[in-house]
Amino acid sequence: MTDPKALSNPHGLSRRQSLKLFGMMLASAAVPAITGCAASTPQVSGSASDWPTLKIEPISVAGYGQDPNLIMPPPSPWPKTLTTEQIARLSRLTDILVPAQNGQPGALQIGAVDVIDEWVSAPYGQQQRDRDGILRLLIWLDDESGRRYSQPFLMLSEAQQLVLLDDIAYDRDNIDARLQQPAAVFNRLRSLVLAAYFCSEAGSREIGYQGNVPISGDYPGPTPEAMAHLDDVLDELGLSDYAYQQ
Amino acid sequence: MADFIHQVVIVGSGAGGAMAAYELTKAGINVLMLEAGRDYDPKTETPMFKRNADAPLMGAATSDKNFGYYDATVDGGWSVPDEPYTTDDDSDFLWWRARMLGGRTNHWGRYSLRFSEHDFKGKSRDGLGADWPFEYGDIAPWYDKTESLVGVCGTNTGLDDMPDSPPGVLQHPPTPRVPELLVAAAAKKHGITAVPMHRAVLTQPKDDRAACFYATPCGHGCSIGAAFQTTTSLLPMARQTGHFKLITDAMVKQVNTSDEGTVTGLTYIDKASGEEVVIASPVVILAASACESARIMLNSKSAQHPDGLANSSGQLGRNLMDSTGAGIGATIPALKNRPRYNEDGHTANHLFIPWWGHKAQHNLNFPRGYHFELGTGFREPGAWVSGDFAGYGESLKDEAKANYGASVYFALRGEMLPNDNCYMDIDPDVTDKWGIPVARFHWQWSEHELNQVAHGLQTAKTLLETMGATVGDLPAPEQAIAKGGQIIHEVGTARMGSSPADSVTNQWGQTWDCPNLFVMDGGVFASNPHKNCTLTIMTLAMRNANWLAGQIQQGVL
Repeated sequence: MTDPKALSNPHGLSRRQSLKLFGMMLASAAVPAITGCAASTPQVSGSASDWPTLKIEPISVAGYGQDPNLIMPPPSPWPKTLTTEQIARLSRLTDILVPAQNGQPGALQIGAVDVIDEWVSAPYGQQQRDRDGILRLLIWLDDESGRRYSQPFLMLSEAQQLVLLDDIAYDRDNIDARLQQPAAVFNRLRSLVLAAYFCSEAGSREIGYQGNVPISGDYPGPTPEAMAHLDDVLDELGLSDYAYQQ
Repeated sequence: MADFIHQVVIVGSGAGGAMAAYELTKAGINVLMLEAGRDYDPKTETPMFKRNADAPLMGAATSDKNFGYYDATVDGGWSVPDEPYTTDDDSDFLWWRARMLGGRTNHWGRYSLRFSEHDFKGKSRDGLGADWPFEYGDIAPWYDKTESLVGVCGTNTGLDDMPDSPPGVLQHPPTPRVPELLVAAAAKKHGITAVPMHRAVLTQPKDDRAACFYATPCGHGCSIGAAFQTTTSLLPMARQTGHFKLITDAMVKQVNTSDEGTVTGLTYIDKASGEEVVIASPVVILAASACESARIMLNSKSAQHPDGLANSSGQLGRNLMDSTGAGIGATIPALKNRPRYNEDGHTANHLFIPWWGHKAQHNLNFPRGYHFELGTGFREPGAWVSGDFAGYGESLKDEAKANYGASVYFALRGEMLPNDNCYMDIDPDVTDKWGIPVARFHWQWSEHELNQVAHGLQTAKTLLETMGATVGDLPAPEQAIAKGGQIIHEVGTARMGSSPADSVTNQWGQTWDCPNLFVMDGGVFASNPHKNCTLTIMTLAMRNANWLAGQIQQGVL
């Protein structure tokens, strides 16, 4: 029997290429998404001896099934599983990733930690892979801050926390082998926090999504400002002569 | 209804079955429809305007809901609990099913492109595959009727890949969005034309269906009836005639035949009780989807039909085709931070790129064409954020905002040719929950499809680079091509033709071997042009049900 969960990398591309393609596939309503097609947390070869190796228990509860209530989605489809300590570290990371600023709430304030708790507690393939990575990352954070500062992560000064995170937050292509695994998982967590933030009412407004409102009459199309910008882009790319004629 | 005596049983309530039911009941013929899934009411069950933030996992696709939480599909997807299918060891094939009234029409993409004159005569042109048993001119009036009934927006382009509709048939298309206009200009520079997509979405009201209000994705289903699905159109219309009866949760096991091999009716499992129900019927129409209908026929063996019902040609289950699928996308730097506006539109392509190379096909190393669908726009934020990120804090958020709506994805959809390695049969060892032997799939792409995909990826790369994007190395076509079945355009398993020697049905979907057994889904396709199968499934079902109604009224059947 064909197991959709086995479709880990249908394009045979590198993890990052594949993730990029997958995000774009999802951005296109015309393209079917295969479950589990998004990249898993990569298994980095080479020395990764600092990466926690403990066994992470998988989630075995039932999912929401193939006929859930779409009008009233279940507020709590499965039990959340993060511990108080895990939530504390995750909250700090969430606040660093997307802090409140310029009058906007941060990811912490819009409830991103709850969203991620639901995510890593879900019984599906992608979420289980993320669970495995994120739980290890939270342990690694304390291990690493212990190695560097002899204290758990949350006891560090903000400056120390950022120094530590700076080593895994940038330039993943040229990162020290020892840090590849935490950097890859941090990147995954970063995407989740961004997603949770931009899904929220405040984040959705901030990113500029203006749809999901009924329009009477014809679809109005681009604003004059958007068309003026397009004209500039066409000009810049040398495409003005080929502009679409209605 | 108590004294309702059916004249025809239709298996399946999707595009083909519902159209057949509409056409037959309109002619005053009593139809009993069997649907394997549950009843479904889009008026009350469609999650209109629901936001990803309110769904589990920000609406992300899961193994339970493969197109995301709000996708209209009920009890279906790449796998259906208790109803497995198998593939042989060397084959990748995915079979999408929906177990609900209206079938896959509740969530389909609604892309509705006519096949061209040359699409029906591919073999005459290049010697490959099979010709259809009629000309475009024979089916054109039925395309007209179907488009008028269904409601299709788009324009007449005059392109050889897109036959024109008569004046007044198409509804006006929505105006294009900025990234689509950019793609159109980049394509034009290379002599490639982008045009309005044809979509089964109303831009003007029709019957008791409202016009699109340009919000909430069609894949959720459409409670106002603007996006076509049989549950808001053909099925209610059939019901209104008084000649229609529906039984849901009725899983057909086999078509029954007499000792002489004549079709007498069928047996279904009442899923609520698990009991087998035998019903007689003067005429049986299978419209359960190409592979489900073929499965039923292959499972309906008898002394008179030793290789499966109506399979004297040996073609039943053979010639299985999907569309080819591949794609590539990139961030367009010039689109970063572009001015915001509402780009929902009718929530799918306003512009697309039809196949431009038909006349020059002989210069190419692949025989059949493809088109590009475009993935662009300021979409509703969800669980996946576009961009390759570094850092955190303000700069991170700014980068995410800059990337929003700045990517363009080209999704290739192409014609594949039938080949001897792509077919389905019955697994001798596996049965489903109901004890029905399951379908087994065999699949292998040929060089025709791989060459086509390579060409498409290279073309997409050229267009992306023309828009200023950095694309990098392309994947090999063997890696880039979607799995068989993944585009959900599977057809051909009971193909029609002009001879009983090499086809399962005649041009009316009537099986050569059993005059009172019809196939009215994608199974009858003799070829699978790249233009998305549903409009042609509906058109054939209308034409053939109309012919069948005549046969019944004349007393022939």
